[in-house]
Amino acid sequence: MFEGVFTGLSTALMPFNLLMVVLGCFSGTFIGMLPGLGPISAVALMIPITYTLDPSSGIILMAGVYYGAVFGGSTSSILINAPGCASTLVTTFDGYPLAQKNQAGKALALAAYASFCGGTVGAIILIFAAPALASVSLSFQSSDYFALMLLGLTSVAAFSGKGQVIKSMLMTVFGLMIATVGNDVITGAPRYTFGQMDLVDGVSFLLLAMATFALAEVMMTIMRGKMYANSETMQPVALSSMKLSMSEVKEVAPTVARSSVFGFIVGVLPGAGATIASFLAYGLERNLAPLRLRKMFGKGALRGLAAPESANNAASTGSFVPLLTLGIPGSGTTAIMLGALIAYGIQPGPRLYLDHPDIFWSVIISMYFGNLVLLILNLPLIPYISRLLAIPPQILNPLIIFFSIIGVYLVSFNTFDIQMMVFITLMAVGLKMLDFPMAPMLLGFILGGMLEKNLSRALVVSDGSFDFLWNRPLTLSIMCATITILLLPGVISFIKRIGSKGLPGAD
Amino acid sequence: MNLTKDRFGGLLFLLLSVTYGYYAADIPLLPGDKFEVFHAQTLPYWLSGLGVVFSVLLIVLKPVASSTSEPLFKSNVLLMFGLMAFTFLFSVALPWLGFPITTSIFLASSYWMLGERRPKMLVFASVPFALVFWLLLTQVLDVYIAPARLLFW
Repeated sequence: MFEGVFTGLSTALMPFNLLMVVLGCFSGTFIGMLPGLGPISAVALMIPITYTLDPSSGIILMAGVYYGAVFGGSTSSILINAPGCASTLVTTFDGYPLAQKNQAGKALALAAYASFCGGTVGAIILIFAAPALASVSLSFQSSDYFALMLLGLTSVAAFSGKGQVIKSMLMTVFGLMIATVGNDVITGAPRYTFGQMDLVDGVSFLLLAMATFALAEVMMTIMRGKMYANSETMQPVALSSMKLSMSEVKEVAPTVARSSVFGFIVGVLPGAGATIASFLAYGLERNLAPLRLRKMFGKGALRGLAAPESANNAASTGSFVPLLTLGIPGSGTTAIMLGALIAYGIQPGPRLYLDHPDIFWSVIISMYFGNLVLLILNLPLIPYISRLLAIPPQILNPLIIFFSIIGVYLVSFNTFDIQMMVFITLMAVGLKMLDFPMAPMLLGFILGGMLEKNLSRALVVSDGSFDFLWNRPLTLSIMCATITILLLPGVISFIKRIGSKGLPGAD
Repeated sequence: MNLTKDRFGGLLFLLLSVTYGYYAADIPLLPGDKFEVFHAQTLPYWLSGLGVVFSVLLIVLKPVASSTSEPLFKSNVLLMFGLMAFTFLFSVALPWLGFPITTSIFLASSYWMLGERRPKMLVFASVPFALVFWLLLTQVLDVYIAPARLLFW
């Protein structure tokens, strides 16, 4: 393992890769700060750039953008009460009230320190957890992989929230359907191409990611009128001192430690991600706090800010565990990174640890540097970076649209891709208006090819019988986990309904 | 039974899944593939079936009130369609007018559509940007961008 760590360290310490970390953190912070554009959009916007880099540098850049975007989201949550992404929504609960009390600088500093601790704890656990899981997963067969992919796909749906489970499942199926467009990977037969030569290679991952996340998000922001109707109220508040007193540090230290470990564990669960981690950590801290401090939650409690910030960064790091070791993304952002790795010709999963130790370890090591960059470079620059929020939206939005379409065009040099993007964006906007989540679709699309290959292999080996799902203990265990996760939301809501009926006066 | 957002979405997906399944029959198979346990049509048929099941569930089950949806402004919906139309026109005009001209027109018209009316801003945030970006791509990054077809007419 230590040999791998040193390989990763030497790759991550290469001046160019360090530059990528810095560049990634900066651009991520900027994009993440823009309301409506979260880490998924930020990473999607970076894909065309990463195609010109080698795999290690490309993934390091994307990882930097990821943390940067989460950090940037926290900044806009604190300064203008507009979370850049869902995972920093909880940050507004106590971050913005602190800013209103003329403690914006302190809130930003605390968010940065808590994020740094969360990310660092996450990176340290990852160093030990990832290789252990990777070595176990070396014994996986096609049936196990198929079961794992089912687990990943169903988890994303199961964790999607109340009333969203069936919609998420539908979107996952829709993603799998899109993945079947183009020549069949096994027989080469054209599927759903309708005689169009441009569809023979299937729908490009980059095109789909850019259209559904970058472009569709901008369109939704424009339609909500957020940046127009409220532009006058969205002026950043003035920053104050960024210093924390010793008593304040002592107060939040246990919170940061608890939330970091907790966030990492939640992040490892496929589909759970940083948003759920931040909500759960906030709830946990509020329940653990003494009554005197509990009353402060929602009114500018330091613990209420530190908990979600450490948890979401640790969860972001944790979501790399299933990606790097099993090849199954734990969140929408890591799903995009999986697509990028596949585009490089690298198959994430247990073999990544053995075949490309430089990539495996450099990504892990660069996470630590990423957190360091955010703390040392980004924090002091926040007053200046936040001025970018003043760019008029009528100028900024067309530029984001332009970068999205030109990023796709510069990879294929085919204007059909831009037209396809327009079509997919309109479809994505329509689906978003109907409250359909996009991440399960992208996950289904990315895993579609692998799922079909492993299913076909497993079925051929078992001579057409589905007994491969329960013949091996490992496959059976994963299938049991899948069914449990799938049924869990329904069972919980059923128990709640029964419980509320039993309580007199309960609504 | 009211036609809620969920049910409308469910109906759309039901239509999509049925159409998807219908066209699965058009996927050509290799000789003897029909007797294989898994061929090019297998997954599309399963996905179509799954799609139908989930769509019907979405239509039939009691809808859950969503707390995440935010009100959309009708005028901004038109704005979105306008921007998408500009993007489409950008893709059509790009091979004919070339990168710098198409990009300048696209950016200036998008700024204008989103409410920017200052002539200086419309010009300076589009033409120099397009030229610098084009020079960066062609001269610094050595990316080949085809010249305008109109030049060769």
